[in-house]
Amino acid sequence: MSLSRFLIKRSLQGLLVIWGVITVVFGLRFISPGDPANVLLPPDVDPEVRAQVIAELGLNEPLYVQYWQFISGIPVGDLGLSLVTRTPVAARVVAKLPATLELAIAATIVAVVIAIPLGVLSATRRHQPADYGATVFSLVGISTPNFWLGVMLILVLAVQLNLFPTSQRPIGLDGIAMLLAGGDVGAAVDGFVTWLWHITLPAITLGTYFTALITRLTRSGMLDQLGRTYVRASRAKGLPETLVRYKHALRNTLIPVITVIGLQLGTLIGGAVITEAVFAWPGLGTLIINSINARDWPVLQGSLIIVAVGFVLVNILVDALYAYVNPQVAYD
Amino acid sequence: MAGGAAASAALAGCSGGGGEETETTETTTTGGEETETTETTTEDSGSFDVTITQGQMPSGLDPHDHRETTTDIVVLHAYEGVLTRDAAGSVQTALATNYERIDGENAVRFELREGVTFHNGDELTPEDVAYSINRVVDEEVGFASPQSDQLAGVAGAEVIEGENAVKVNNSSLNPIVFSEFATYLDVMQQSWVEDNDKAYIGQNMNGTGPFQLDSYTEDEEVVLTAYEDYWQDTAAVGTLTFRAASEASTRVNQLLQGETDLIVNVPPQEVQRVTNSDNARVAAAPSTRIIYNAMRYDVEPFDSMEFRQAMNYAIDLESIVQNVLGGFGAQTSQPTLPEFVGHNADLDPYPHDPDQAEQLVEDSGYAGAEIELHTPVGRYLKDLEIAQAVAGYIDELPNVTATVRQRDFGSLVDELLAGSIEARPPWFLIGWGEATFDGGLVMEALLASEGTLTTWQNEEFDALLEQAGNQSGEEREATLQEANAMAHEQCPWIFLNQQYSVYGVNDAIAWEARSDERIDAYAMSQK
Repeated sequence: MSLSRFLIKRSLQGLLVIWGVITVVFGLRFISPGDPANVLLPPDVDPEVRAQVIAELGLNEPLYVQYWQFISGIPVGDLGLSLVTRTPVAARVVAKLPATLELAIAATIVAVVIAIPLGVLSATRRHQPADYGATVFSLVGISTPNFWLGVMLILVLAVQLNLFPTSQRPIGLDGIAMLLAGGDVGAAVDGFVTWLWHITLPAITLGTYFTALITRLTRSGMLDQLGRTYVRASRAKGLPETLVRYKHALRNTLIPVITVIGLQLGTLIGGAVITEAVFAWPGLGTLIINSINARDWPVLQGSLIIVAVGFVLVNILVDALYAYVNPQVAYD
Repeated sequence: MAGGAAASAALAGCSGGGGEETETTETTTTGGEETETTETTTEDSGSFDVTITQGQMPSGLDPHDHRETTTDIVVLHAYEGVLTRDAAGSVQTALATNYERIDGENAVRFELREGVTFHNGDELTPEDVAYSINRVVDEEVGFASPQSDQLAGVAGAEVIEGENAVKVNNSSLNPIVFSEFATYLDVMQQSWVEDNDKAYIGQNMNGTGPFQLDSYTEDEEVVLTAYEDYWQDTAAVGTLTFRAASEASTRVNQLLQGETDLIVNVPPQEVQRVTNSDNARVAAAPSTRIIYNAMRYDVEPFDSMEFRQAMNYAIDLESIVQNVLGGFGAQTSQPTLPEFVGHNADLDPYPHDPDQAEQLVEDSGYAGAEIELHTPVGRYLKDLEIAQAVAGYIDELPNVTATVRQRDFGSLVDELLAGSIEARPPWFLIGWGEATFDGGLVMEALLASEGTLTTWQNEEFDALLEQAGNQSGEEREATLQEANAMAHEQCPWIFLNQQYSVYGVNDAIAWEARSDERIDAYAMSQK
């Protein structure tokens, strides 16, 4: 199958997945307890006022009408109005996207920078203290819940030692880009430092599980490669050990690792919810938590659609790249 | 439950900032209500910046289009009403300088202050005030405002020709009209509202208050700056920023780290951490929210007055307040809080007397009853823990078995609002806030036969409330006290605690917590 046919096929499958997500989320709204109007309005509101508000929000329409209204707006980017703020959902969700992407990418960078060298070290010093250390680290990393780690980092590094701020995102990459576009390099550098200072703890929190996962993956992949015939042959030819390890073995190890990194990026975007709540990071996760608390269904649906779209896109992209990098894999 | 939410009106005439203070007190007697107006003027001693972190961001900036305390707290810095309240809850003048009932008519008159300007520089006119009132109560003028019932009994407003005054028409006597205006109704500029669309009004502000809008980033922050031409002294706070963090521990960390200056809802288990820090303290005030356990009068075993009384004797309320709430609460003995109109000071909370409780259960004929308490989780300060303590004490009685059932707040409210007593759980924990400081409104909503959340029907009690509705002043107060005494004796509730608002405050700032849940940055000064 050619690349373009593959892409078309996967895109259609992706659309089906997204439609499924929309429908499930829409259905959840009707089986979950709590009428949005009762959460929006205090109980002492006059029943007439309550009825007016419900009508204004369109909550009194039949199910299929509400479903159609919602789904017919999506192709033109209309995700409806928030029940709470009455502002367009699409704009709100898109405005939150950069913060979450920054966090996901920063977490990935933390993971890659730590995990790959650690995995290599662990594989090349098998059954030595460094290997045991790395194994313990990844075991602890995989078993530590995000929210606990986040709270501990804040308590120790922010509150006790005063090394980092506890929360907030005073400036984002988009803000730094704006400063750079304005020609103000000094301010942009200051902005970047502030950004780095604020994103470090959330990125570590979100990236720890990922780091542990990639460490283990690199270690086992590397061990596998080092045992292969071509490695032994290279050594026999007299190639320096560093060249054998880092040029040949590591390269082959990284192919599956890159796939996992790509796929995990999608998970990180969806999984940032708890980390964002702990650090009051104003991204999609915070928006999702707040809209659940406020029973603001349109915002929740909009956010989940964006997460689903992101996930599907990353998946398609990773599949396409994988086949491109490794010609043994066909597009089918 | 959000209850009457907090204030939508304006700020008390009290400004901080050290320096010299001059105080003038005038007493106005209007329509049987006596009010003291205290104006404090202070010389400015340099401005400072303040950040306030609440649990949620405002849902928008239109002061007439919301029903949440969090939004109120933000908009009340830019918008003001004709009347307001001081920190203790008593009615004060704001944009009106005088208010009185018009003899022979079901109407009241507000005389307006001269020289008040909106943030766009235009002067306040009586037309603006009348328009603002009509925008809330009359769907034809603006939109279906979710606040229309907060001005219950107000039919509309008109300008009094040739005077800087407004006449408000009521559909009946409306004994609580000044109380309503002291809590609700923010004045907006007619031309500004008419010239802009609703989306713009929800994202911008143009009020007469001490702060004007600098920037608003939805879901992130609202930045206000002191309004230089404010009709009182310019605020001591130069820049006022509102942010939100839904996690209580995140807010506490922000405060301890100096990233914010004031946080709301410090949970009892975090109080120690704030108190022990070098740079912050805890400030608390009794709120207008009462927490209680309703018992349905029409189902077994709660249809017996003896059984309901037994439930009140069974619990150790003092211990619950001390140990569960860490002292941040007050015991109650009746549906009306001490700060409210109609409170009966002669009533004491039920004492902890398990023997008496056991005997009363026997007398009721319901020995061996098994009961289940429905409670929301995380909605009120320590709600689940209070419910567990209550059920625990009752369960200790040898002749009653009590358990707790945790409920999602949304689904519990659906049942409570279903419109009939039969749809409500037989026994549930809930809270009710009433920002108008009126015990009559609380009893009307929670205990009258036709009340929004009622679990009780008693003709004698209904008659008392109806009687109060046609009275005003001390007469009404006495009738409401009688109703409270009746509720105390008949026990439609297990009387629990008055909830406290607990704040964490930066030590560098002088600020007192208020009982109406408003956070008034205009009253802040530097220590």
